[in-house]
Amino acid sequence: MKIIKAIFKKQAKDMFKNPTVLLMFIIFPAVAFIMTVFVTIPDNEFGDNMFVTMMASIFAGMGLITAVAGAIAEDIETRSLRFLIIAGVKPHQYLLGVGGFFLAAALVTTIIFNLIGGFTGTDCLKFLSIMGSGTAASILLGSTIGMWSKNAQAAGGLATPIAVIIGFTPMIANFNETVEKAAGILYTQQINVIVNDFSADMKKPLLVIAANITVFAVLFVLAYRKKGLKG
Amino acid sequence: MIKMKNIVKRFGANTVLTDVTFEAGEREIFGLLGPSGAGKTTIINILTKQLDADAGNFETGASLFETGLMLDTDGLYSRLSCLDNLNLFADIYGIPHKKGLEALENVGLYDAAKKSVGTLSKGMRQRLALARAILHEPKVLFLDEPTSGLDPNTAKGIHKLIKGLCENGTTVFLTTHNMEEAVKLCNHVALLHQGKIVEQGEPSKICERHNSYKTIPDLETVFIKLTGVELE
Ligand SMILES: Nc1ncnc2c1ncn2[C@@H]1O[C@H](COP(=O)(O)OP(=O)(O)OP(=O)(O)O)[C@@H](O)[C@H]1O
Ligand SMILES: [Mg+2]
Repeated sequence: MKIIKAIFKKQAKDMFKNPTVLLMFIIFPAVAFIMTVFVTIPDNEFGDNMFVTMMASIFAGMGLITAVAGAIAEDIETRSLRFLIIAGVKPHQYLLGVGGFFLAAALVTTIIFNLIGGFTGTDCLKFLSIMGSGTAASILLGSTIGMWSKNAQAAGGLATPIAVIIGFTPMIANFNETVEKAAGILYTQQINVIVNDFSADMKKPLLVIAANITVFAVLFVLAYRKKGLKG
Repeated sequence: MIKMKNIVKRFGANTVLTDVTFEAGEREIFGLLGPSGAGKTTIINILTKQLDADAGNFETGASLFETGLMLDTDGLYSRLSCLDNLNLFADIYGIPHKKGLEALENVGLYDAAKKSVGTLSKGMRQRLALARAILHEPKVLFLDEPTSGLDPNTAKGIHKLIKGLCENGTTVFLTTHNMEEAVKLCNHVALLHQGKIVEQGEPSKICERHNSYKTIPDLETVFIKLTGVELE
C-alpha cells in the first residue's frame, strides 16, 4: 500500500507540473460552465444539461484516455518505470498508483461538472456513478494504449483517434440517428443517455459500461502479456 | 562477491555474450572494460535481473533491495524536483526522507534540491542519478559508464564519490571504455571484447603479464594486443 501511495503522490506532483495534462482536467468543465452560463438555446430539445453532458463525455472519453496513455508511455520511454521496478515496485502497484491517481483526479473534475449541472439527490448519485464507471473504463483503455505504445509520441498517435471517436461520437449522436444507434455500444454515449434524462433506466447503461470495461480489461491483459511493463 | 560463470546471452541469432566468467571481490571497485557493443550493459542487465541469461549462472551477494543502480539512461522524472525524485524512492524503500537530503549532500546537489530535474546540466543529472542509486545505502552498486560524456572535473568528482563509497564498504561494479578511469579507480578489471572476457586481474598485474615489450605497456596497449581493436 505504501508503494501504491508513493506512485500516486508522484503522479499528482507530476500533473501539477505538467500544464497540458492539468489543462485537460480544467478545460472541459470550464467550457461547460461558460456555455451553460452564457449560451441559451431557445426551445433546446437536448435539455438544460446539454453542455455539461457533452463536455463530461468528451472529458471522460478524450481527455482521460490521452492523459493516462501519455503518462504510462512516458514512464516507459524515459525508463523511469524500469527504475521503479528494480526498486521493488510490482507492475500492479504501479498501475494502481497511476490509475488510482487519475481516478481521483477525474472524480474531482466530475464533482465540478456536478456543481455546474446542479444535480442533487439521486440525480447526483447517478451522475457520479455513471461518470465513475466511465472514467474507470477510460483509465483502463488509456493504460492499455500506454503500455502498447512504449513512447509518448506513439501513445499520442494511437490514443488521439481512439479518444476522439470515444469522446465525440456522443455529441454527433445528438444530431444523427444512425450514429446514435451505433454509439449505443460506447460507454460515453451511456453517460449522455443518463445525464440527458435522469429518469431513464440505469440498467442498460451500466450493462454497456460493464461490457466496455470487460473488453478493455481483455485488451489490457493482452497488452500486458505481449508488451509487459519493463520498458 | 559478484560472480559470473559461463554466462551466454543471445538476442535472436546474435550471440552477444559467449561464455563470460569473472569474479569481483567484496568492498572493491571492479571495472568492466570494453569498447562500444562489447556487451557491458548486457552484463549489468543480467546481474540486476533485468535480463535473463541463456546459460550459465551468477551471483551478486545482494538482494535487489541491497543493490544500487545507475544505467546508461537516468530514468529521472524531469518535471519533478531533485528531492521529489529521491523522496519517491525513499517512500518505495520505506526509508525516511532525510536520506534523500543526505544523498543530495553527498553528491553536491544539496542546493539544487528544489530545482526541477529538467533544468539541470548533464553532470548534475548524472550526480542525481548516483544519489538515487546510493539513497538506500546499497551493499552493491552497479554503475554503467558513470562518467561518460562528462567534463574531466565533474568526472573527477564522481570518481572521488565512488572511492568514498567503496571505503565505506560498498562493492562497486562499473563499466567504462575509458582506460584511464579504470586504472585510476579500479582494484580489479576485466577486459571484455565481443562478449568474451579476454583478461582480468589488477590493472598493473595485467600490464606486467603482457610485458613482451621492453617497457611495461599500459592497459590500452594490452587491449589492442589481445583484440586488435581500440577501446574508444
Ligand atoms: N535488447 C536487445 N536486442 C537485440 N540486441 C541487443 C539488445 N541489447 C543489446 N543488444 C546487442 O548486444 C550487443 C552488446 O550491447 P551492450 O549494450 O551490452 O554493449 P555495451 O558494451 O554496453 O556498449 P556501449 O559501450 O555502447 O554501451 C550489441 O551488439 C547490441 O546491439
Ligand atoms: Mg552500454
